[in-house]
Amino acid sequence: MSIDILVQVLLSGLLLGGIYALVAFGLSLVYGVANILNIAHGTLLAISGVVASLIFAATGWNPILIIPLLVLPVFLFGYLFHAALLRPLASRGKHDETIGTVLITVGSLIMMSDITGVVAGTNQQNIPVRSEILEFGDVIVPLTQVWILAGIIGLTIILHLYLKYAWFGRAVRAVTQDPLGATICGVNGPRAKALTFAGGSGLVAIAGVLYAMIYPVDPYMGFSLTVRAFTIIIIGGIGNLAGAMIAGIMLGVAESFTAFLWAPKWAPAISVVLLLIILVLFPRGLALWKRA
Amino acid sequence: MSSSRPVAFAGIAAFAAALGVLPIVAGPYPVSFAFILLITFVIAQSWDWVNGQMGYLNLGHYAFYGIGAYAFCLLLIRGVPLAPSFAAAIVVAALAAFILSFPLFRLKGDYFAFGTLTIVPLCELLASNLTEITKGSEGVTLPPNYVLIPAYYMAAVLVVLTLATTWWLMGSRFGYAIRAIRNDEQVAEVCGIRLFPVKVLTLGLSAMFAGLAGAIQAWQFSFIDPYTMFNLSVALVPIAAALLGGSGLLLGPLIGVILLSSLQQVLLVKLSMLQGAVYGLVIVVIGRFLPGGLLRWRVIANNKRLAWLARESHFEGAPAMAAGDHAALPLRAPDLDKSKVVLRCEAATMAFGGNVAVREVSIDVRQGEIVGLVGPNGSGKTTLFNLISGIYRPKGGRIIVDGQDISGLRADEIACLGIGRTYQIPRPFNELTVRECIAIGRSFGRGAVPLREAMQSAEAFARFVGLGAQIETRADKLSLQQKKALELARALAGEPKLLLVDEVASGLSINEIRTFVEHIREIRDRYGITVIWVEHIFSALARVVDRLVVLDSGSVIADAPLQEAVKDERVLATYLGHSNEKDARKEKRA
Repeated sequence: MSIDILVQVLLSGLLLGGIYALVAFGLSLVYGVANILNIAHGTLLAISGVVASLIFAATGWNPILIIPLLVLPVFLFGYLFHAALLRPLASRGKHDETIGTVLITVGSLIMMSDITGVVAGTNQQNIPVRSEILEFGDVIVPLTQVWILAGIIGLTIILHLYLKYAWFGRAVRAVTQDPLGATICGVNGPRAKALTFAGGSGLVAIAGVLYAMIYPVDPYMGFSLTVRAFTIIIIGGIGNLAGAMIAGIMLGVAESFTAFLWAPKWAPAISVVLLLIILVLFPRGLALWKRA
Repeated sequence: MSSSRPVAFAGIAAFAAALGVLPIVAGPYPVSFAFILLITFVIAQSWDWVNGQMGYLNLGHYAFYGIGAYAFCLLLIRGVPLAPSFAAAIVVAALAAFILSFPLFRLKGDYFAFGTLTIVPLCELLASNLTEITKGSEGVTLPPNYVLIPAYYMAAVLVVLTLATTWWLMGSRFGYAIRAIRNDEQVAEVCGIRLFPVKVLTLGLSAMFAGLAGAIQAWQFSFIDPYTMFNLSVALVPIAAALLGGSGLLLGPLIGVILLSSLQQVLLVKLSMLQGAVYGLVIVVIGRFLPGGLLRWRVIANNKRLAWLARESHFEGAPAMAAGDHAALPLRAPDLDKSKVVLRCEAATMAFGGNVAVREVSIDVRQGEIVGLVGPNGSGKTTLFNLISGIYRPKGGRIIVDGQDISGLRADEIACLGIGRTYQIPRPFNELTVRECIAIGRSFGRGAVPLREAMQSAEAFARFVGLGAQIETRADKLSLQQKKALELARALAGEPKLLLVDEVASGLSINEIRTFVEHIREIRDRYGITVIWVEHIFSALARVVDRLVVLDSGSVIADAPLQEAVKDERVLATYLGHSNEKDARKEKRA
């Protein structure tokens, strides 16, 4: 086993992890701010990916152009979804609220997958971008992947700065820490929640396009991504982007190495087993980065 | 309350008879539809024991169904006879539940849901990847046999058993234990319920039923594969059904399953595509518009004949007491030995991070004493109560009750040793009636009487604290004062030797305070219960306490009879400030 292959595996893990992190950002914000267990989160990615692939197949546009085309409608969809279905649940007791959330998100997961399956077919699709290839010795890296990784890192930095310094970003963090306190200080809680839900959905649409540029997507693959995203936010700390980024990359690299050293079929087990182990060792999630 | 038992029995009997007759009068199509309905009901109802009764949202319940099916099929194709294969399905599912209990029950609330969400994908992965054992993704095919009718009858028997189990849970001591856990886990433990075994048993019970259901379905279907057995969108269908009917209600899951399965059947017949989408839409609508399910709908809950359908528990046979009978509490009055120490704290210390909330507190409380525990906000009074009742484990020192060191014991063990407590902010079991709340305290604490007796004697405790008229009222409908009274009644019902009373008088009127003080006195004089009373209302304490312990910043600054304590310099300084600036400066220098 040469070092080149290891570097190659590491790189693909890095890329995979970056995308996982992007999926997790949205979920993390949504759970942190709006306290919504969004089980349909990964499905939204799958569907964005499928739609992006269809647009690409029909028009041949640069995927970078497809991103804004998708993000806006998904953002709006997220806003309306929250306003119409999830916001009214807040008046219930905690357990009833959780149950309502689970039912609504699961129901929409089934609906979205089925409708997309009927309209777009159940086949796997992707965005086959042709790309120049960079070679470092025996390590081969398609230029697209480099751009994607750079894009993810850039997006993370922008989001981080936004949450840290922008007024709305601070409002979002305030609601994460103490919804009532934030409301008393003049933050419009419900609006912050709805916008976060919409923003999280928009993020996942971006992730969907990027994902489809590297891996095949189909309407039914979303749930396993949701499980991964939950793993990541629990390792990384709820509402914490830097933590999610680190956790996402760790998970991506771990999956890559599992696939390479053992068998690809066991790679999905990593996140599930990791999640169970972490929940057992740290029943309230990892608090390592929570303060950030 | 009286009429629901015969109605329920008649209903179950009619239902069972209808199930028995169906294959004789109907063709294979209705029978196979009814079969699916029965299996779905078993899954939905067994899930609801954990969710509706115990309050744990288990999103991985369907995995037990798959595990049962796999255990059954894999044994059957290896030549094991039918009966042991079915038995194995039950055992393996229960075993899986037992093993999963250890990680899962460390989690609470949403995190429990997260954790369980991973079980179904994990099982699918194992079933597809462990090809040598499970034959991987190609699945397991049983030898072809037409077993619809026997499978149907097995499912019918299982359904009747499931209903009977639900009925048993609705009115049994075990059922009240898990409903107490749903309402408030910490209080359940303080009432003397040992949490973990109860949770494991409940999850195990639900897994056994689901596992057997999976085995029966696999037997009838004669084919299983990882995708159909561990499919998430299918997995949540029984859950949606239970919630549609009304989670936690006797007939909720049954009605939900009948409605939802029929709808599914109609969709399958009428729609050539998008069945999933319509189905998903129905689930969304249930989630959005039916928080408590159909049976909790106002029209049903307010209708006299139908209201029993919306009731959460079905305990029968607690006759009303004769009116006007002044309540003598059914407590033994022990001989008091006023020199004997009931509670001894030896340098008990509790810290949260760097914040020392209780600092080396040493006090002795003797039998039959009423000790007032006072101190400013944040001085550690409630933390000390939490240490004594076992909510926290002391970071240092020892707490000794009747000569036994209790510092390492669980809250339920401490409750059974005879320490009762109330909460400053009342924590009744909100969804249960006053009678039930008190009966739980009576049925699990030191007295631990059978449920029937506890339900009957609950009324005496309710009257004692002035809740006689509210005995059948749900606890969340009470006013704050009534809830505080209920706290006292529930704690007394546990037959404590030592009662920790945490600020019951604040918010009461002067007359109510007077009554309350009389209660405290009567508790001690008539029933020999030693009392530690935390209170800010000094005039109330002054009427009854033998001794005052004053805490400030976690330390005892005075421990003396009332008259002496109120003259103590430090106590005065803590409570009233310094008499003048000079004194303050003097003290600072000293």
